[in-house]
Amino acid sequence: MDELTVLDSLKSQFPDAVADALIDSQPPHIVCANVDKGKIVDVCSYLKDNLQFNRLSGITSVDFPEDGKFEVVYLIASYDHSVIVKLKAEVPRDDNPSIDTVIPVWWNANWYEREVYEFMGIYFDGHPEMTVLVLSDDMMGEWPLRKDYQEFPQTTAKYPYSDDQESIVEEKYPLEWKSWPTERHYLE
Amino acid sequence: MVNKHDVKKRMRQLAAEYIHEPQQEAYKLDDTEMMLHIGPQNPIQPGPFLIDLKISGETVRDSKLYMGYGHKGIEKILESMTYIQGLPVTDRICYLASLSNNEAYVSSVERLLDIEPPERSQYIRVIMQELSRIQSHLLGTGEYATDLGFVTMFLFMIREREYVLGLIEDITGARITHCFPRFGGVREDLPDGWREKAIDVLSMINEKCEMYKELFSSDRTYRMRTVDIGTLTKEDVIKAGLTGPALRATGIDYDVRKVYPTLTYPDIDFKVQTAKKGDIFNRVMVRINEIQESCWIIEQALDQMKPGPLFPDELPYGRRTPSMRVPPGEAYVPVEDPRGEMAMYIVSDGTDKPYRVKIRGPAFALMQGLPPMLENVYIADVPAIAASMDSCNSEVDR
Repeated sequence: MDELTVLDSLKSQFPDAVADALIDSQPPHIVCANVDKGKIVDVCSYLKDNLQFNRLSGITSVDFPEDGKFEVVYLIASYDHSVIVKLKAEVPRDDNPSIDTVIPVWWNANWYEREVYEFMGIYFDGHPEMTVLVLSDDMMGEWPLRKDYQEFPQTTAKYPYSDDQESIVEEKYPLEWKSWPTERHYLE
Repeated sequence: MVNKHDVKKRMRQLAAEYIHEPQQEAYKLDDTEMMLHIGPQNPIQPGPFLIDLKISGETVRDSKLYMGYGHKGIEKILESMTYIQGLPVTDRICYLASLSNNEAYVSSVERLLDIEPPERSQYIRVIMQELSRIQSHLLGTGEYATDLGFVTMFLFMIREREYVLGLIEDITGARITHCFPRFGGVREDLPDGWREKAIDVLSMINEKCEMYKELFSSDRTYRMRTVDIGTLTKEDVIKAGLTGPALRATGIDYDVRKVYPTLTYPDIDFKVQTAKKGDIFNRVMVRINEIQESCWIIEQALDQMKPGPLFPDELPYGRRTPSMRVPPGEAYVPVEDPRGEMAMYIVSDGTDKPYRVKIRGPAFALMQGLPPMLENVYIADVPAIAASMDSCNSEVDR
């Protein structure tokens, strides 16, 4: 099993769903492909059943607010051969971004999907338990890894000794203060 | 005008109502069952996490994990820092594997920059990786022995670990958080006389490992608590996506150093340590065998390395300044952590800061695979089984 076999097999099996498939020029020569959002479970089960991709290495997500999309990234490897496949599915950046769960294919997708949900707010349809994993309950709905999350670094929004907490925070910490400067200049 | 905080509160409420509904199912008990909470401060390992056991008599029927007590937001912090500023932060992912975390970060950024460190730097990095593995396995196994009431073993191992930490300290100047590799090389060369000192210490560790194996194998109480307990089959580990010693103890010879070789690992001769049964006893034995194998790797690296530069001649502009620009792209380079596959998925948009960093740690998979292992075991075996995975909560929570 090598990268070319996987690439050809993917392309021939899913001519419509898989786009821009290519092999990374540097080691570990990852096979990258963009997949239709609706076809992700089909592609994943094809990889697992026909090409021995029996190990899900991780699921993550990247936010692109300018393009109005999220990318859900699946990193898939195997115990039997050394090819890594990176699948990307675009999810529109609307009010309820969602994608199908891949738990039926790989059991260990469970926690990775929960993590993506609590940090980025992408819902996984069919997931048995979409609860917080590492964030606290009151952070649910903040989606802190989105690029428009404004409260980082959070000096703290909770003053226990103040009656009117919100207004104090708004006054004391204007918006510029709450986000890091996007570009810094150093002596080069 | 709508207050921003009101909107957020409402969003939180909606999310909480929505998400907590299915969770109640796990807590439905019949007449013979009860819930037992272990944690967040638990006897299993230093990191805090909560484990809810549904028990019937002495037997665990179901279990549920709650993580996140040590969440540091490292992925978000890395997005707000320049590449070189992010390097010390990667130390803090897991203090036992900080050199592996550095390595995963640095090698991914090197792929983006399209540079390769010279041979001497690569050998030094191999040495640091293996020293990191030795000290992590020594502490992990020792702590595990304390959980079983085998404190003598812990004291033996922590004593030997000090010598290894001394070797690391001689090179990096730090004991726990090293921040040692750099993009395209390493920070320091080996000091004078380090080679002789290292060979002394490593041969000593090698001898001690034989003693550990004898102690672990001959102690009757220890064997009663570990042999045929917490057994994982090949199907279990493949389903849970585990890597590292817990996987190799079941007989699958999967090692990232062999499968995705980086640095000078292809030039070094070493065997992937495996065992057959996959129970606790085998998992510990695999770790001790790996310590010996790491000693052998370091000795080979010391013999093979030649004097030379630490950085390549041609480096991207601004390498030594915080404002180094990294070309746009994505990189993912797996590295063999003491616990399994560690990798960072870095997305760059061409500026001086990473656009997104995803930390894929081995302990995350180990923790996720824990609840199926705890089904139908005795409560007294729960700490033994959970601690034998040598997981790290700091890395799960990040």
